[in-house]
Amino acid sequence: MRRIVITGMGCIAAIGHTATACWASMREGRSGIGPLVNIETELLNVRIGAEVRGYDPLAHFDEKRLALLDRVTQFALIAAREAVAQSGIAFAGNGLSGRTAVVIGTGVGGQNTLDDSYRRLYMHNNPRCHPLTIPRLMANAPASHITMEHGITGPSFAVASACSSANHAVAMALFMIRSGLADAAVAGGTEACITVGTMKGWEAMRVMATDTCRPFSRGRRGMVLGEGAGIFVLETLENAKARGAVILAELAGAGMSSDAGDIVAPCDLGTARAIEAALADAGLATDAVDYVNAHGTGTTINDPTETRAIRRVFGADADRLAVSSTKSMHGHGLGAAGAIELVGVVGALSQGIIPPTANFTDRDPDCDLDYVPNVAREQLVRAAISNSFAFGGLNAVLALKRAA
Amino acid sequence: MSDDVQNKIFDIIAKEASLDRARITRDSTLKDLQIPSLDMVQIFFAIEDHFNINLPDQSADFDTESAGGLVDTVERLLAEKAEKEKAKA
Repeated sequence: MRRIVITGMGCIAAIGHTATACWASMREGRSGIGPLVNIETELLNVRIGAEVRGYDPLAHFDEKRLALLDRVTQFALIAAREAVAQSGIAFAGNGLSGRTAVVIGTGVGGQNTLDDSYRRLYMHNNPRCHPLTIPRLMANAPASHITMEHGITGPSFAVASACSSANHAVAMALFMIRSGLADAAVAGGTEACITVGTMKGWEAMRVMATDTCRPFSRGRRGMVLGEGAGIFVLETLENAKARGAVILAELAGAGMSSDAGDIVAPCDLGTARAIEAALADAGLATDAVDYVNAHGTGTTINDPTETRAIRRVFGADADRLAVSSTKSMHGHGLGAAGAIELVGVVGALSQGIIPPTANFTDRDPDCDLDYVPNVAREQLVRAAISNSFAFGGLNAVLALKRAA
Repeated sequence: MSDDVQNKIFDIIAKEASLDRARITRDSTLKDLQIPSLDMVQIFFAIEDHFNINLPDQSADFDTESAGGLVDTVERLLAEKAEKEKAKA
């Protein structure tokens, strides 16, 4: 069976504009959550978020091109550039272009474009809609622009499964390479969801914290919205070795499941089945895993449910696992979440440093695992899993091993 | 008036299609200028937005093929708009 490895990663989020900067923040337990500065907050009850701050689109794209790019696509392109550059992979001139897939998860797509066009139409009664509205807002725009920028001509598409989109996308890319449908992939997730409209929608669900995000901690008050992108270059171990690439980690397996239950409430049985499937696919025993990058949204209901799912799968081994939620630092990036978190997982595997759960205050009796509170931990990580559980009950878990 | 409209339309074409403005004359067709379709719709949008008029999608009565035709079309639509506003007043 083909083995798949990660040879490049790129990221932009509230905690940094590159994967290197994001990993440095995670290692230091530095949170990017703060008062919202990029949008009007007059209508909002929740006025915090994990926004990408100090970001100048014109530093990355010329004006003409920028007209085509929603913020969600800008993030994806920036992260993809970093990943492709790091991997040193070349798509042109060697037949790889048509054998490379681009699979990008996003929860919604061009939400800023939609918000802006509705404001113009309904609020200002302006009947003229910008002609680039559709190509900007379509959910496949990030994937399409990556193919165009890098000259990748293989099978490419978007994946949408709310908060699991990125993990589903990376899982798809893994299975496509493993099956021989492609030899390499650019995969990950992107989201730019911090608009007044989206904030109001989330507020209405009453799952948003107004102070900060404290996953698994007593006194947690909910999730904090984030944004950004994480993009990875995947290829076969054989190809990576042949071209002398630096292998960041092995993407050993993935597991997926649906709860077929509630449209929003998580389910420990459904999520446990995805974890089990990921371990089985990767050929990992429960005692071979050292770290779980949790879904860990910080809502009252997710965190104990996820804790039960981990206990159900890992049994007695659960007590020796390190479990952390980096959403405490980069917020909940929805369709980008799993991809931003994968930067933390790759960091843990490659550097032997487990990123912490920031903002942790006291233990909650219903959350009784080792959550690596507030301070990163130096520890060899042989293998790790990364959980994403979406609204709609769609779960996707990635399993990774340390590069040999 | 006419020069103003023409100047503005040539500005818009040059900006949206990233063209050297000196290349644009009344006689140049948008095809001669090799303007891609996505730039064309942006030119139409920018003209509509600036003059607050609605350009017809396709009409035998309007020439939107050449830069000069576009200027005449916009002037006609502006004149019609002015008539209507006068009638209302």
